[in-house]
Amino acid sequence: MTPVITLVIIAVLILALALLMRRIQTGSIVALRPLRGYTGLQGQVGRAIESGSQLHITLGRASLIGDANPTSISALTVLDHVAKDGCANSTPPLVTLADGTLLTAAQASMVHSYHQAGRSADYDATATQFIADNTDAIAYSGGVASLIHQEKVTSNVMVGRFGSELGIITEAADRKQIDQVIGSDDPNALALATAVTDNLLIGEELLAAGAYLEQAPQQLASLKLQDILRWVIAAGILVTAVLSFVL
Amino acid sequence: MNAKKSIPIFIAILFGGLTLLGLLFNLPALNSLMLGWAGFIAGFALLLGILNLLYIHSSRTLKKKNLYSAILVFSMLAVFILAVTDNMGLTDNGVQTTFNWVLAPLEAALASLLAFFLLFAGFQMLKRQRTIWSILFIMTAILILVSNALAVSTLLPQNINQIIRQVQHVIQNIIVLAGVRGLLIGIALGAILLSIRILIGLERPYNK
Repeated sequence: MTPVITLVIIAVLILALALLMRRIQTGSIVALRPLRGYTGLQGQVGRAIESGSQLHITLGRASLIGDANPTSISALTVLDHVAKDGCANSTPPLVTLADGTLLTAAQASMVHSYHQAGRSADYDATATQFIADNTDAIAYSGGVASLIHQEKVTSNVMVGRFGSELGIITEAADRKQIDQVIGSDDPNALALATAVTDNLLIGEELLAAGAYLEQAPQQLASLKLQDILRWVIAAGILVTAVLSFVL
Repeated sequence: MNAKKSIPIFIAILFGGLTLLGLLFNLPALNSLMLGWAGFIAGFALLLGILNLLYIHSSRTLKKKNLYSAILVFSMLAVFILAVTDNMGLTDNGVQTTFNWVLAPLEAALASLLAFFLLFAGFQMLKRQRTIWSILFIMTAILILVSNALAVSTLLPQNINQIIRQVQHVIQNIIVLAGVRGLLIGIALGAILLSIRILIGLERPYNK
């Protein structure tokens, strides 16, 4: 594909996004299909606030400057949501992660949530913990599992890029009999997560975090455009398959 | 919009645009410059992460008398000292030896437990919900495990081995691959649109 074609496709997508955003701003309603992952997340945030205990959220191993950065940005959106409610109710989440670039972003999210709640003085830097470098999956999962055992947490939210090491963390949470929400873009991690919880965010569902949790017009428009593109691609695959049989 | 908010947006859009142009029009000088800066930021962020780890566990050691945190702080400092003495020539391969004799066996032991955790999780799922899908999930997992073991066995006749391989091929290369491709197409669409939103400044995760 030549660079010009790519630029044209990007321009068309920006135009379509702008048009859909305008429609939503003028009152067009986007119906969001209920997702168990987000419903479960809302329930867990509520339960953590009611019981006065912490919710643990881990953001995975993807860097903000790597190829999985959309996944990490979506994980940060989930953190924004959880931190906003938690900090306003004196139950800030316990955040763990395995990448330095995510650490600064997660700390910024916590500071902002405290600031919004008018409790900037309550900010605790130790609530956001770097566990291990993203190249060492087992050390990361072992560290998170140990923290789940030691701390008083009522639920475990895992959003971001994980591999099969996810099994070690979910096992620790399962032993403590706490609820879990798992969202990832990795097929191996998702296969493991299926065995552990029903509160799943599968691939693109995690990437739709903004539309489900913040519901800003640009995020809803983006989700709508994504649906349209999915139909276009599905039609393209079908037509290509039929043509390959016929020709 | 005040300067505090608009400067990060300007920087994000500018560097996003430059990176896109560098990749599309194959500009190696621009690409390597961007990669260099990104690498520098990632390296610095890793250093911040290590300091965060040291600070948190030092606090827990001093305030909560946490033994695990004390071991972690002690190990970090010991490896750091070994790295310095390795560099000065006082010790020979101290860091590598520590890695080979302490970290690698510990990680291997934890990784080997993973298979048991997964098996346990599978049966927990059956206890939690006995739907057709959960039964299908467990049956497929067992089928693949058993067929992997049987496929390399010399005890089975050649024709039965052939059938097992065919069943494995259908499950892994047709059913699973189709599902994974569908999943990846959805993720790619979501990632493209999120990237476009960041590129035009509609999504600002950096601007709290």
